Amino acid sequence: MSSIPLSAFLLTALLLFCIGLYGALTKRNAVIVLISIELMLNAVNLNLVAFAKYGVGASIRGQVFSLFTITVAAAEAAVGLAILIALYRNRATVNVDEMNTLKK
Amino acid sequence: MDVVWLIPILPLLSFLIILFTRPNLYRKAGIVGTIFTGAAFGCALLVLFSNFAEGNQLVEANWFSIDSVVLTVGVEVNPLNALMLVIVTLVSFLVHMYSIGYMANDERIATFFGYLGLFTFAMTGLVLSPNLLQLYVFWELVGVCSFLLVGFYFYKPEAKAAAKKAFIVTRIGDIGLLVAIFLLFWQTGSFELDVIFESVLAGDITPSMVTLIAILIFIGAVGKSGQFPLHTWLPDAMEGPTPVSALIHAATMVAAGVYLVAVMYPLFSSSETAMTTVAITGGFTAIFAATIALVQRDIKRILAYSTISQLGYMMLALGAAGYTAGIFHLTTHAFFKALLFLAAGSVIHAVHEQDIFKMGGLRKQLPITAALCLIGCLSISGFPLLAGFFSKDEILASTYADGRYVLFTMALLTAFLTAFYMFRLYFLVFAGNESSKAKESSRIMLIPMFILGVLSVVGGYIQTAWFGTFLGDWLETSPYPITVDHPTAPIWLPISAILLSLAGIGLAWMYAKKLRYGERLNPVHRLLFHKYYIDEFYRVTIVKGTRVIGYFWMYFDRFIIEGGAQALIGLVKRMARAGSDIQSGQVQTYGTVAFSGLVVVLLLIAVIGGYF
Amino acid sequence: MGGILTILILSPLLGVIVLSLMPANHSSVKMIGVFGTVLPLIVTIGVFSLYDRTLSGIQFMESYQWFELMTAISPNEPYPVTYDLGITGLSLLFLMLSALITFLASLAALRIQEGVKGFYMLFLLLEFGILGVFSSENLFLFFLFFEVTLVAMFLLIGKWGGFEREKAAFSFLVYNGIGSILLLIVIIVLFVEFRTMNISELTSLLQESASYEFLSGNTRMWLFLLLLLGFGTKLPIVPLHTWMVRVHIEAPIAVVMIHAGVLLKIGAYGLIRFGAGFFPEQLKETAVILAILGVINLLYGAFIALVQTELRAVLAYSSISHMGIVIIGVASFNTAGLQGAVFQTISHGLIAALLFLLVGVIVDRFQTTKLADLGGVASQTPLFAGFFLAAGLASLGLPGMSGFISEFLAFLGLFEAMPVIGSVGVIGLILTAVYMLRAVLAVTFGERKPQFDKQKDLSAVELVSSAILLSLIIWIGVYPAVLSNTLQMARTLGIGG
Repeated sequence: MSSIPLSAFLLTALLLFCIGLYGALTKRNAVIVLISIELMLNAVNLNLVAFAKYGVGASIRGQVFSLFTITVAAAEAAVGLAILIALYRNRATVNVDEMNTLKK
Repeated sequence: MDVVWLIPILPLLSFLIILFTRPNLYRKAGIVGTIFTGAAFGCALLVLFSNFAEGNQLVEANWFSIDSVVLTVGVEVNPLNALMLVIVTLVSFLVHMYSIGYMANDERIATFFGYLGLFTFAMTGLVLSPNLLQLYVFWELVGVCSFLLVGFYFYKPEAKAAAKKAFIVTRIGDIGLLVAIFLLFWQTGSFELDVIFESVLAGDITPSMVTLIAILIFIGAVGKSGQFPLHTWLPDAMEGPTPVSALIHAATMVAAGVYLVAVMYPLFSSSETAMTTVAITGGFTAIFAATIALVQRDIKRILAYSTISQLGYMMLALGAAGYTAGIFHLTTHAFFKALLFLAAGSVIHAVHEQDIFKMGGLRKQLPITAALCLIGCLSISGFPLLAGFFSKDEILASTYADGRYVLFTMALLTAFLTAFYMFRLYFLVFAGNESSKAKESSRIMLIPMFILGVLSVVGGYIQTAWFGTFLGDWLETSPYPITVDHPTAPIWLPISAILLSLAGIGLAWMYAKKLRYGERLNPVHRLLFHKYYIDEFYRVTIVKGTRVIGYFWMYFDRFIIEGGAQALIGLVKRMARAGSDIQSGQVQTYGTVAFSGLVVVLLLIAVIGGYF
Repeated sequence: MGGILTILILSPLLGVIVLSLMPANHSSVKMIGVFGTVLPLIVTIGVFSLYDRTLSGIQFMESYQWFELMTAISPNEPYPVTYDLGITGLSLLFLMLSALITFLASLAALRIQEGVKGFYMLFLLLEFGILGVFSSENLFLFFLFFEVTLVAMFLLIGKWGGFEREKAAFSFLVYNGIGSILLLIVIIVLFVEFRTMNISELTSLLQESASYEFLSGNTRMWLFLLLLLGFGTKLPIVPLHTWMVRVHIEAPIAVVMIHAGVLLKIGAYGLIRFGAGFFPEQLKETAVILAILGVINLLYGAFIALVQTELRAVLAYSSISHMGIVIIGVASFNTAGLQGAVFQTISHGLIAALLFLLVGVIVDRFQTTKLADLGGVASQTPLFAGFFLAAGLASLGLPGMSGFISEFLAFLGLFEAMPVIGSVGVIGLILTAVYMLRAVLAVTFGERKPQFDKQKDLSAVELVSSAILLSLIIWIGVYPAVLSNTLQMARTLGIGG
């Protein structure tokens, strides 16, 4: 049962995070960017849970945090998608490159 | 004796009253001005007589201080300035009176009298100054009054140019005086005349420094008194109203240069070089201006050049150690030159013309003016027993006694030229056939002329070889160390002077008869008529030169400095634009940059912290 | 009377608050704007009358601990930042000048038609900054207020200026920004070394010989040069002057009055208070160079003013020329010179304000400031012409007016120290007369121009404003003790030798 070491969890989470980061920074499609962000959040969740079990002074707090994160992520996904839909209605695109209104 | 304070205050009051009630006063301004300056003249007479009785006095009050040096203002009365005070207030009073008639039809008559009051204030203040700083203050103030009055007809372009020229040319001289004051202050630690003279005589200042300071002061005098090479403003200043020419540009302000040299006489007499400079400049100016006056056509300009020449005479006298002679001539000149100007004003007032070749035969129409003018001409020409005769004689004697025979010859020659051009003027204007209709001036204009006429006749008897040297003895009671000369001249000197002036008059008579219809134009004549082309020379060299320098720096400023500044601003702008280009608005780019930044920082910490 | 300086500094903000609560196009906006400047004027007059001329040192001190700066290097010794106000005779004179000129400028600003509310708000903000600058006893506060004036000026020029207002505002900002950075460097170095930003403490600390252990002579020289550059930009010293010419030409007249009348004087104030106060030795070492710079300023400005064809440009270069006299006075570093420098700043403040007030009248009546297009207005507007002539004469240093005393003292000082440089400098006095008369006579003298026939002479407000300024100019000229009595005390602070 306890044969899987902490480092395996952490490496998985790192991998997941990097994939998410890569997606968030490079993908053109806003939906994929959102999904990538979810991926990064999940990587964090994985870390939290792993530390909750194997960390120094392990306690239930990590799991509670991950629950919080999941809730926030759900809310964020809802808001993000809503914005996306609104944008799509206005611009007829979900291409992130064309969303540069920050410039002006 | 306390009335001495009133002398400058009264004209100042006149100025202030007229300034603030100008619209209501209008023509009555003349009466106000005349009353106030008349009162000032009364005070000046009192001061003069009390100086005979009680001697000199000096009252001072603190003005402000530089550290421990307290600067003072005050009034001083000594023979020299008591005499000047009387001359200034008398001529001012008479000119005020005369102007009531002369300026009667001018819209801005009140302004005119206001300026006259201000001038009289400044001039009396100048004369009363016991220290150089105060003297300089009033010195500039009389300059500005002269500027205002020359530019009185401000709508005339010539008047505008003349006013500007008068101010700037005299300013050049004033700067010389200013520098001299600075140097004296740091040499002696004071602006007070008595302190300065004390240390000069005690030898606290090196001789070369004394010479330098004296010459700088003399530059100031040259500017004010229209001596060569700063004389060019004075003829142009004739653009002002004629009474102004009589008051400022003949009798008082232009004599301030001579007065300054007289005041600073102890300083000048300690430097042989300075004295020589004064004498040579004066002598040269005297003959130089006299030659120009020979061929001028404008009645006022002839008088202006004559003034320059006579002032040169006074300078010559002072430079040749003829202290009394210089002051004496200053006094008599004030009378007869003011008279001549007022007479010229009377003529101009009657015929509205200034070209003497367009006048003639006015003797019958303007009998009183003609008679008074004749007195003036005789006096200035040195006709025996008139005022000018005695003072001119005194100058010739001093110059002769001084031993610089070249200067002496120049002085004699100038006397001859003076007689010639004055009578050329007189004959062309008053003799011959009538050429135009004219009416004699009103009484208010004739009375001042009459008074000046009387003084031009009797004014010389204060210093004669026969009735005693009253003036010289009195001037010797000055509180300052002044050596008053008593030159004795050989008997042939006055005789030859008389003969020369008579010859001048005779020649003018023949000349005027022959040349009624204009003059021949030979090169010498043209050279003289164009005043040796000195104005043109200055225009080409100094005026143009200054402007060229100005343009040079302007373009330097516009292209080099402003160009550099714009380059700097452009650089800042370009940096800003580069910065804004990085801000593409792409969130993903921002994310990438932020993430790489984080990585770099973490790596740095790892490396520096030694975790690797 | 504790807190009176705080009240003084904050008093213009009352106007800002009232204005911010009003609708923009309300009819009484202008009135409130003007009234907003009356309040500080009254308080300043109060301070002036309460100031004890017989005492030396700083008066009306207010000092509070404000906050502390912790540093990682020495966490147990925080750097205290205090809130210090206080005035000396020197700053009192500047306060008086500022309050008066701001008031008169606010009257001149009545002609502004657009964005009146915003204008007056910024205007009062500017006054807040200026009053703060002159009553700070603390470099930190000084710097803060200094920056406030920069921001307010930038907006005032950029929004209400002439055709090239944005360019002018930009050069203003760039130059003054750089200048203030240099100033900041000096402030930081001093703060780090001495752990105080109180001006009088710093002055006395720096003059102790023991302080050389903290700060070597070499470093001081660098700091002094930085100060010189920083304040030199403000003054301005040639060749750092072009921004100032632009501002003179482009900014609205009321702002130019303040700019020429007061803001340039911050440079002089800083140079005298900090340059001469903190680094007297360094000043003495560089005196010759400084004097030469002053003479260059004087002549350079005069020569260029001589050939300008635009009245405002003539006056701009004339300001440069006159600021040269301030530098000369500081460089001579004796009582006469320093006194002359201070007199010159005050006197030029009044004269420049008067001249620009009248330029405002010219712009309003004749719609041009080109010298060639003007002329002969003495016929139509004699009162205006009289004042303009008087202002011109004051500017060229006519005795009996304030300009003469200051020029006289500055040159008197210079002639003790460096007579040769002085002899070159006096040429500037001739040139001043030439360009000033040229400009003034071009406007007032000459033939009557019929197109100006319908123009009205000075209005009551203009007349009173000009009369106030002119009478002050004459008052100082006739009785300079009114300034020197107040100023004597400034000397005892260790300023001057």
